[in-house]
Amino acid sequence: MDAATPLFRMEGISKRYGGVRALEKADLTVTAGGIHAILGENGAGKSTLIKIMAGVVAPDEGTMTLDGREVSFASPAAANQAGIVCIFQELSLIPELSVADNIVISDPPKRFGMIDRKAQRRIAEEALARAGASDIHPRALVKDLPLSRRQMVEIAKALARKPRILILDEATSALTAADVAKVFEVLKRLRSEGLALLYISHRMNEIAELADHCTVFRNGRNVASYPAGSKSDNEVVELMIGREYSHIFPPKPGPTAAATTVLEARNLSWADRLDNISLSVKAGEVVGLGGLDGQGQRELLLAFFGVLRGLSGEILIDGKPVSIASPTAASHGRIGMALIPEDRKTEGLMLPMTVRENLSFAALDRLSKAGIIDRAAEQRLIDDMVGLLAIKTAGLDIPVGALSGGNQQKVVIAKWLMRQPRIILLNDPTRGIDVGTKQELYQLMRKLADAGAAILFYSTDYDELIGCCDRVLVLYDGAVKRELVGAEITEHALIASALNIHGEGAGPRQGAGA
Amino acid sequence: MSETTLGGIAGRMPKFLRRADPAVVTAFACIVILLLLGSLYSRSFLSPEYLLQQLKVASFLGVIATGMMLVILLGQIDLSVPWSVATGAMMACAAAAYGPVGVALAIPFGVLCGVAIGIVNGIGVAYLRIPSMIITLATNAVAQGLMVVYTGGFSPQDSATAAMRYLATGFTIPGVPNAVIIWALIGAAMVFVLTRTSFGRAVYGIGNRERAAYLSGIDTRRIVLIAFAVSGGLSAFGGVLLAGYASKAAQSMGDAYLLPSIAAVVLGGTSILGGRGSYLGTVAGVILITLLQSILSVMQMPEAGRQIIYGVVIVAMLLLYGRAPASR
Repeated sequence: MDAATPLFRMEGISKRYGGVRALEKADLTVTAGGIHAILGENGAGKSTLIKIMAGVVAPDEGTMTLDGREVSFASPAAANQAGIVCIFQELSLIPELSVADNIVISDPPKRFGMIDRKAQRRIAEEALARAGASDIHPRALVKDLPLSRRQMVEIAKALARKPRILILDEATSALTAADVAKVFEVLKRLRSEGLALLYISHRMNEIAELADHCTVFRNGRNVASYPAGSKSDNEVVELMIGREYSHIFPPKPGPTAAATTVLEARNLSWADRLDNISLSVKAGEVVGLGGLDGQGQRELLLAFFGVLRGLSGEILIDGKPVSIASPTAASHGRIGMALIPEDRKTEGLMLPMTVRENLSFAALDRLSKAGIIDRAAEQRLIDDMVGLLAIKTAGLDIPVGALSGGNQQKVVIAKWLMRQPRIILLNDPTRGIDVGTKQELYQLMRKLADAGAAILFYSTDYDELIGCCDRVLVLYDGAVKRELVGAEITEHALIASALNIHGEGAGPRQGAGA
Repeated sequence: MSETTLGGIAGRMPKFLRRADPAVVTAFACIVILLLLGSLYSRSFLSPEYLLQQLKVASFLGVIATGMMLVILLGQIDLSVPWSVATGAMMACAAAAYGPVGVALAIPFGVLCGVAIGIVNGIGVAYLRIPSMIITLATNAVAQGLMVVYTGGFSPQDSATAAMRYLATGFTIPGVPNAVIIWALIGAAMVFVLTRTSFGRAVYGIGNRERAAYLSGIDTRRIVLIAFAVSGGLSAFGGVLLAGYASKAAQSMGDAYLLPSIAAVVLGGTSILGGRGSYLGTVAGVILITLLQSILSVMQMPEAGRQIIYGVVIVAMLLLYGRAPASR
């Protein structure tokens, strides 16, 4: 492989989003006629890297060369022109249009300024055949196709653009096993035709089967590059970890057997996102939810909070079955649940409204008599919260959107603490906030647990799960795959079970994963 | 351009004005300019009689726009205003025909009919998730149909009760028309609801970010339902007052209130996307619209010209507000 001249090379690529460093002097070399796998944890910089390759975002520094000539892409269309086509995780098809319309959507064949439907159909048929999906009719509407077929159309759409480098970002995550096998055949054929393929997947077995070459990313840098098959799964996992521990976590009090179970779920299932989940959280306990992004953790929290319709299974509070029909029901009365949502800007706060209005919003029923807000009581409680969480704000009557990310998150948490919840669900609360505030939140979480709250904590940051949680449940594909308790919670065990592999030395309970 | 000049002026203004919403200040400034321009044409535009008369005319629009504002704050719209107004007026007059009990219950009955229309709107928007633009247009058509069936398509013969006439044209306090007092009371109640109650907070919250409000444990559907019911009720009450003013109800008497009520709310600085706006702005918008209509008609502008100027002024003012920095 090394003998071939590189088709595409990235050198010293850096990208920052605000203060967050997404990529730091990353290098990547892609050769024609090979499948190159990119591995890394959530947030290691993989997505940013391919977005830069595909012209979606511009790098802050670094150079890209194609065929030895330096290039830069102003837009995805420019990258397409140069022969770099990306199949993104999210489907980009328009459901109301036909398969053929979708395939040629960016550059339809024209005659006299009108779309040449015959030529369009021919192009679509060719592309579908090349993608190994000639059973899909070009005139079928995309909305009538099942998800796995749509993904095939997505691949055909990419192929119709005649790429030289094809990037697949989790492109198989929605496919059935039979389709995956078909896609693999196609990918191998494309490789023999001389295309360069960049393959991103969290499924280790897929990478083992497909890749010629692997590059591991960690913290925005490429830390290792090696020919496929030269390292064991465990070595790869070790490469993916290996960060320094920079956070300080409060000490854990250790198991308290006497505590009562506050929140319990029995056989929770919802659509195809939650699969028979049973769990329990005791008072004073911090239970973590681990696993890769999007394995059902968010849905699980929303299910508890009464947001999901058509949930099957049982939720028990204090050992008694309850039906939670809405967030109102979940937060009011004796259930006393709070959800710190994933996206504070759209789900947690009303950004143009003042800090005061946001803080008291979830507790309005407690602060008002006969619907009229008791301003004195409101002020007292707000002062308490601003003091307790050390919220830094220029005043209570400025828009909450003017605060820093960390302080906004504190407002989200404070507005729920005003209700004194017994059960606190946290959905990745430290995403995008600075280290100092993170530390404060860890301390707060432990303090709340010590005061008797039951906490269910989802995080995409493994360090946090290790540092904060008494137990961690690892989810994979909507089901709890493994439960790690106390000293079992290691980064190694978390990643191994998140990838659903059971390597040797993955933890004290060898191979005992459910 | 206009932003920088506005900012420059704001810097020199007294403190209480600097804190005020620039849109509200602009609307009040436009009222003053309109009056000054009018006074160039005729001195009588500045006479107390004329101004009081305008305030009285404005109070009908003011009552209707109050309900509209509540709905717009939610990020919705109520297009059923025309026939909510007409239904309120016709049903109140109709009740008056049923003896002394009917006369006594005429006003509440008219208002309740409007509330009923509003509840249908609210159920459609909050529970059935129909876009408000569609459902309110549909209920407007249904209300129109029902009224045409009831009246046979002619102007109804029933006339307004004495109480209705008293509310619309009488004087409890010498010199101040009752209609103006009613608008002041309704306005004060609205200010209280919007600023001091949990319902008001919830309305602003839903208008800013319905998802966040829902996840904060607010029963968003109930709030939306109530807001539409209030809007329907206030439209109908506006109709009751209008019937009292004209002594009887008339077909399509509400048609002239749909655009002005939306325009008054939006000209007063309430965001058409919801979540932002103050009642003071709506007051300014209502007076501004009323004055504009009045001055154009006094100047004996032909109807077509009036419509054109009226529309252009609204568009121009909205463009001016569009320059305000967005915080979303």
